[in-house]
Amino acid sequence: MKKTKWSLLLVLGLVLSMFLAACGGGDEGADDNQADDNNTGEQTDNNTDNEGNNNGGETGGDEEKVLRMTEAAEIPTMDPSLATDAVALNFIHATYEGLYRVAPGGELVSGIAKKDETEVSDDGLIWTFHLREDAKWSNGEPVTAHDFVYSWQRIIDPETKSQYGPYFFGGLVKNATEISATDDDGNPLYPDMYGKVEELGVKALDDYTLQVELINPAPYFGSFAAFPVFVPLNKDFVEAQGENFALEVENMLFNGPYVMTEWKHEESWTLVKNENYWDKANVGLDRIEVSVVKDRATAVNLFETGEIDRVGISGDFIDKYKTSPFFSTELEPVVFYLQFNRLSAEKADLMNNKNFRLALAQGFNKQDFIDVVYGNSSVPADGLVPADFVKHPETGEDWRDINGSLLASDIEAAQEAWAKAKEELGFDEVTISFISGDTETGKLITEFFKNEWEKNLPGLTLELKNVPFKERLRLQREQLFEVVFSGWGPDFLDPMTFMDLFVTDGSYNDGAYSNDQVDELITKAKTEYATDPNKRWEAMLEAEKIMMDEVAIGPVFQRARSFLTQPYVKNMKLNPFGPDYSFKYITIEK
Amino acid sequence: MARYVTQRIIYMIITLFLIATATFFLMKLLPGTPFNLEDKLTAAQKAALYEEYGLNDPLPVQYANYIFGLVQGDMGISFQFDNRKVEDLIMSRIGPSAQLGFQSLVLGTLLGLILGLISALKRNTGYDYTSNVIAILGISIPSFVFAGLLQYTFGVKLGILPVSFWDSFKHTILPTIALAIFPLATVQRFLRTEMLEVLGSDYIELARAKGLKNSVVTYKHALRNALIPVITIMGPMVVGLMTGSLVIEKIFAIPGIGEQFVRSIQMNDYSMIMGTTMFFSVLFVVVILIVDLLYVVVDPRIRLTGGKE
Repeated sequence: MKKTKWSLLLVLGLVLSMFLAACGGGDEGADDNQADDNNTGEQTDNNTDNEGNNNGGETGGDEEKVLRMTEAAEIPTMDPSLATDAVALNFIHATYEGLYRVAPGGELVSGIAKKDETEVSDDGLIWTFHLREDAKWSNGEPVTAHDFVYSWQRIIDPETKSQYGPYFFGGLVKNATEISATDDDGNPLYPDMYGKVEELGVKALDDYTLQVELINPAPYFGSFAAFPVFVPLNKDFVEAQGENFALEVENMLFNGPYVMTEWKHEESWTLVKNENYWDKANVGLDRIEVSVVKDRATAVNLFETGEIDRVGISGDFIDKYKTSPFFSTELEPVVFYLQFNRLSAEKADLMNNKNFRLALAQGFNKQDFIDVVYGNSSVPADGLVPADFVKHPETGEDWRDINGSLLASDIEAAQEAWAKAKEELGFDEVTISFISGDTETGKLITEFFKNEWEKNLPGLTLELKNVPFKERLRLQREQLFEVVFSGWGPDFLDPMTFMDLFVTDGSYNDGAYSNDQVDELITKAKTEYATDPNKRWEAMLEAEKIMMDEVAIGPVFQRARSFLTQPYVKNMKLNPFGPDYSFKYITIEK
Repeated sequence: MARYVTQRIIYMIITLFLIATATFFLMKLLPGTPFNLEDKLTAAQKAALYEEYGLNDPLPVQYANYIFGLVQGDMGISFQFDNRKVEDLIMSRIGPSAQLGFQSLVLGTLLGLILGLISALKRNTGYDYTSNVIAILGISIPSFVFAGLLQYTFGVKLGILPVSFWDSFKHTILPTIALAIFPLATVQRFLRTEMLEVLGSDYIELARAKGLKNSVVTYKHALRNALIPVITIMGPMVVGLMTGSLVIEKIFAIPGIGEQFVRSIQMNDYSMIMGTTMFFSVLFVVVILIVDLLYVVVDPRIRLTGGKE
């Protein structure tokens, strides 16, 4: 008996150790490799320190320019057609090149297409791009117009399941909607055309000429030409890889400034300069090393020990590092605002009263709001279009500088407007509902407004509804609220991405704002003035003034992000649209 | 014996089936969808995606499809990582978690046993008090505080150990210590209590009366019995440690499974939620079986088959 027991223990022990060995085995091998890599890395760093000077962006310089950074998440996909999030867009933009490219500061510059040679027809509908003939894939094959045609057809193909493709091209590129749209049950809306990607309005006139046919003029089409989702793809390569395309380093083919050489999923990835890139001489870095670090404090500690060159910070860290020489704050073109529901079932008369809305829009301090709710470096917004986003096509002046502050916090003015509204509407006490998310931040937001408004606007009671994201969208779309807090980030580099939000029946116009004059100006900007940048801007500037004057919405703040950056990192600035960074231009100057 | 194990395995399969069923339907109650651009997608685009992933089928059909795939060892494709198989994702992340779990289990249990023994044998002395204080601190300090403290002290201030990442053995030291503190404290407390009880029992008196050496009484008779409750808690603890600690993995940037599990829930990655849940469940029932079998080895009073044979 005793003997069997011990043999049983032995067997169990063996089973357990086999299990452990199976789990740990492969991993140890990987550890060794990694340790070696690390040593090499350290040695290179030492060389860099010793040698001092460098010679600008020249290749063949002695020191290796390495940027080390962290991301809070794994790259969800390296398939350009499927990318939706910031991390994927960032590294696809670093390794691929579309027709245009985003330069630091958000300027669009030539990519595979020569920007100065792009022709747009008089009606703004036909765009002809002339491609450079020296661009190559990382396997040496030339990049041609056919690669764009293939990629764009793939994006719009319902089989591909791209999210951004149909979203951006639908209603813009000829036949994009017909090829991809379905009804709510997934049945094709245009069965004759469904899936027929060859009907898409994009053609290769020859190997180096690409023609795109639009159904509406879109002066901002250049933004899509630079958006990482619309980069070319090598048909032979993609089809040869099949389902494995872009899953691992060996399943990818690049045409951008860098190539990915190592990708340890959810752990780290490495990019090195692409030797086959046509503009290799102007690529700023030799190597980019990215590690996944989800904990903010850990990332800051890594920055402190000099293991990474840049880190994003928020909350308490901002207070701690505010005076540090490494600290900087950059504005994002994301604006948050209050929408007032004019179709509210019970309170429509209130919500349609301009003084009532004005009192709400001005009756709190925007800076206090940022400090209380976010505690970051965001700035108050006094208009719809954010600052540091778009510049006048001729004068180069920032939109916000031209139109200035249109609807700022002013509690005294708010109280005056409140008194007038009471008189006009004949109420003394009123309750309105306010919806926001059920997250920690969502609750802080509603509590802030309840406090401030009830204090500043006597007689007002705010009924708070903190609901999950999906429910909030439903309440918003079905207009079951009086005030909602929402925000918008740009889809392309043009004021229109904000300006057409609040035209009559706009998809995101949840407050049902409607003004004939605004509608007319926006329509004109989209059609008549589409090819006249000056008039187009004037129309949009005018529309914003009218909207703010009428308190169409109550702008609250523009988001900003704070960073700690080593001084030797140059040109690493947030882009106003598309990918966060333009890695091609980032460089190290020690 | 063989019959007992077979019976247990059948029960295990039923348990796993019930877990799969419950998880599947609970998961479908989660609000939201797995798609990033929900806000910007038109109804038609959403419909196409739902169709593609089979989310338009009635729930019973989706359920049947899932169970059928599971039986064949197919856990499906992750929603957040396009085209990656769930089983591959799990296997690629279990390594670091298992290594970290194993190291901290060994370290924590050994230290816990030593401290527990010292406490019990030197009851109400300075040794006992010190050991207790360590255990109480270990239980009560949240692991993110302890891990952050270790990271800041040894990584940033002293600079003798890496702040984070999972490269060499050196990189595993801080997370192992941080994770070991929990098993250490738990084992210490259980062993101390149990040893004190066993040492006061009749058969220990008898053993002493027989004139056995003190060390034989302590280690052969007392300790072996006192280990039974420790083994009981070891089962769940092994699974907990091996499958990783969300907090420790996050703080030390370790590509482990614990963090992946929580994220899959936040992202509504249905196939990944199911995959990780099933993986943990299998691990759990297997470990519990092993623990049950271990009882027989440690304690002669326990019999599995209830003496029917």
